[in-house]
Amino acid sequence: MSNALTAVSRFVDRRQSLVYPAPAMIALFLIVVLPIAFNLYLAFTKWTVGLGQPRFIGLDNFIELVSDERVLNGIKVMVYFSGLSLFLELALGLLIALYFNREFRGSEAVQAIYIFPFAATPVAVALIWRVMLNPEIGVLNYLLRGIGLPGSLWVSGEHTAVLSLVMVDVWKWTPMITLIVLAGLKSLPPDPYEAARIDGATALQIFWYITLPLIRPVLIAALMLRSLDNLKEFDMIYTITQGGPGIASETLYLYSYQVAFGFFKAGYGSALMVLVFMIVLVFNVIMNRMRLSALDR
Amino acid sequence: MRKIVFFLLMALLCVVTVSGTALAQVDWKQFQGTEIRFLMNKHPFTTFIEPKIPEFEKLTGIKVVFEVFPEDQYRNKRTIELNAGGKLDGYMIMPGQDDLYYSKAGWLQPLDDYIKDPKLTDAAWDPKDFFKSFTQASTVAGKQIGVVINAETSLLSYRKDLFDQFKVKVPATMKELEETAKFFHGKEVEGKKMVGITLRGKSAAATSQWVDFLYSFGGSWTNAQGKSNFASAQDIAAFKFYGDLLRNYGPEGGTMLHWAESTSVFMEGKAAMIYDANVFKSLYENPKESKVAGKVGYAVIPAGPAGSVPHVSNWSLSINKNSTPARQKAAWLFIQWATNKPNALGALLAGVPAGRASAWDSAEYKAGDKQPDWTLGTKKSFELGQPQWNPPVINVPEIRDITGQVIVDAIQGKDVAESAKKAAELMDKKMEI
Repeated sequence: MSNALTAVSRFVDRRQSLVYPAPAMIALFLIVVLPIAFNLYLAFTKWTVGLGQPRFIGLDNFIELVSDERVLNGIKVMVYFSGLSLFLELALGLLIALYFNREFRGSEAVQAIYIFPFAATPVAVALIWRVMLNPEIGVLNYLLRGIGLPGSLWVSGEHTAVLSLVMVDVWKWTPMITLIVLAGLKSLPPDPYEAARIDGATALQIFWYITLPLIRPVLIAALMLRSLDNLKEFDMIYTITQGGPGIASETLYLYSYQVAFGFFKAGYGSALMVLVFMIVLVFNVIMNRMRLSALDR
Repeated sequence: MRKIVFFLLMALLCVVTVSGTALAQVDWKQFQGTEIRFLMNKHPFTTFIEPKIPEFEKLTGIKVVFEVFPEDQYRNKRTIELNAGGKLDGYMIMPGQDDLYYSKAGWLQPLDDYIKDPKLTDAAWDPKDFFKSFTQASTVAGKQIGVVINAETSLLSYRKDLFDQFKVKVPATMKELEETAKFFHGKEVEGKKMVGITLRGKSAAATSQWVDFLYSFGGSWTNAQGKSNFASAQDIAAFKFYGDLLRNYGPEGGTMLHWAESTSVFMEGKAAMIYDANVFKSLYENPKESKVAGKVGYAVIPAGPAGSVPHVSNWSLSINKNSTPARQKAAWLFIQWATNKPNALGALLAGVPAGRASAWDSAEYKAGDKQPDWTLGTKKSFELGQPQWNPPVINVPEIRDITGQVIVDAIQGKDVAESAKKAAELMDKKMEI
């Protein structure tokens, strides 16, 4: 017995670098690697949950998604929604951070209130927006009409649905960008600013030639963090429009969910998820390159 | 003399009833000690039957475990659990939605042998008492796979008070329906601007109400060759009529109206009419939630070129085919008890439309019936009812999505014929039979 224990103890001593991380590695393998690998396998099969076993069909799912109109629509909506909301969040987040980056009375209170949107539970907030955006009984149209403007269809309109969702996303996530940028601004060295002021630079010149280049890596990091979430935005869109009207606000991610859990077509749904995965991956590789090159400068 | 005859007849009736049940006695204790597990949708029927389970457990010695989930999660959970093959003996199902898929997957136990077996089925259960359209709806390839617990159809509900005030008669044809909607649309009533009618318009969710217009216009899901019929003149007419009605005389943002949105417009007192499930009577007539309680009249769908053809749909209780024989039989005893005459009546009195004629005809129900026009309309719709309210395919949700897109296009005023043709091609490509 003691011999066996000694042997185990010796084995552990000799291979510490393998033994200690093993539990974490096994857990990671089970909850991350295995599902992704299984998803990849399913993407090459035809399988409706309950109707027989997954059947290998090679590239058929990928051939189908090329001709599937809802895939093309999903990519379009995704690019439109993410492009616009990320741009607005970054621009507004930066402006508001610049505004907050100075001393004024009650600045702490204002900042505390300001971060409320992104601290609130996403689904609860989305449900409230859904009611406010209702063209017939929602408060937004009530207010618009109150000041004599025509109401909007908001998320019920084919052409305004994505814009309305962008509005909600910007409302919710701009504070996060502000917070990150603000932290970046506070850590900037004071010397270049003093030098610039002595040389007589205007506020705009200071912003453009000093602040912006210095916080570029922070901005890109904020964009990366936000885009990871934004590209796979689900809860907010699902709660407010479920992709509607029709498929006007159905992102690729929502369509994948519908195929996998609405139609129970696990094979085709997995192929769609692989596509989403690739898009997010490519986007992030590019973003990471940009971040690294900004740091090098 | 008359009294004596009456008493004699009553006594005779009692003897016949008692001996009748005595002859076909079921041993309710035969599965004592068995535990059965049911997955249930959070539905008024579940709310009604759950507190009564101890009665059944006392009668049979069978332990019943109920797990209840809200509808959207319920459907997902049920499919995933049946596929995983865990211990699950019975569940709620809407046969019109899932019966083909579930039978092909091998999850539905045929009930005919249980019903025929006098040791398992009490004569008092009386299968002939169920409305035929619902038994038919719970039958796949000649086998009954479920017993109806909630019988639904749709009705035209309208503001009785306004119809009286403006001396408008209840529309009997589709043309009159459109005229009536037009008449009320934009009218100021009690300071509110009215809409003529509210309907579901939210893509796939709208198909279950649109289908009544489809049938009333003489259309159908598929043609004689089993191909999509969407491109036919009748189907296109139904799509177009429904879309035009909602766009021209409905609330704004029609394409996002699910039943919750549509019924709230009506309950806010902003719509003169609504076409939706009859069960929403309990919402309209609830004075705490609804501003129109007591002011609503009910009628069957107005007649189209093919007459008035509403759909009937139902929730049924079914047995998992992969459960063990003993537990399946115990589950059958439970289903039988839950759907017996007293429970069907009790459910109806609690507001769950029963699938049994005896419940509707009972003195108790009639005595407390505050909306006889609703009862009349519902019963008439049950007779006229078309049980195929979903496309006759295995992949119902996928085909409903395709159908929903045409409805959305119609509401948005796009070229309906073009959209229907495209949907027909897609449906032919995607449907699995």
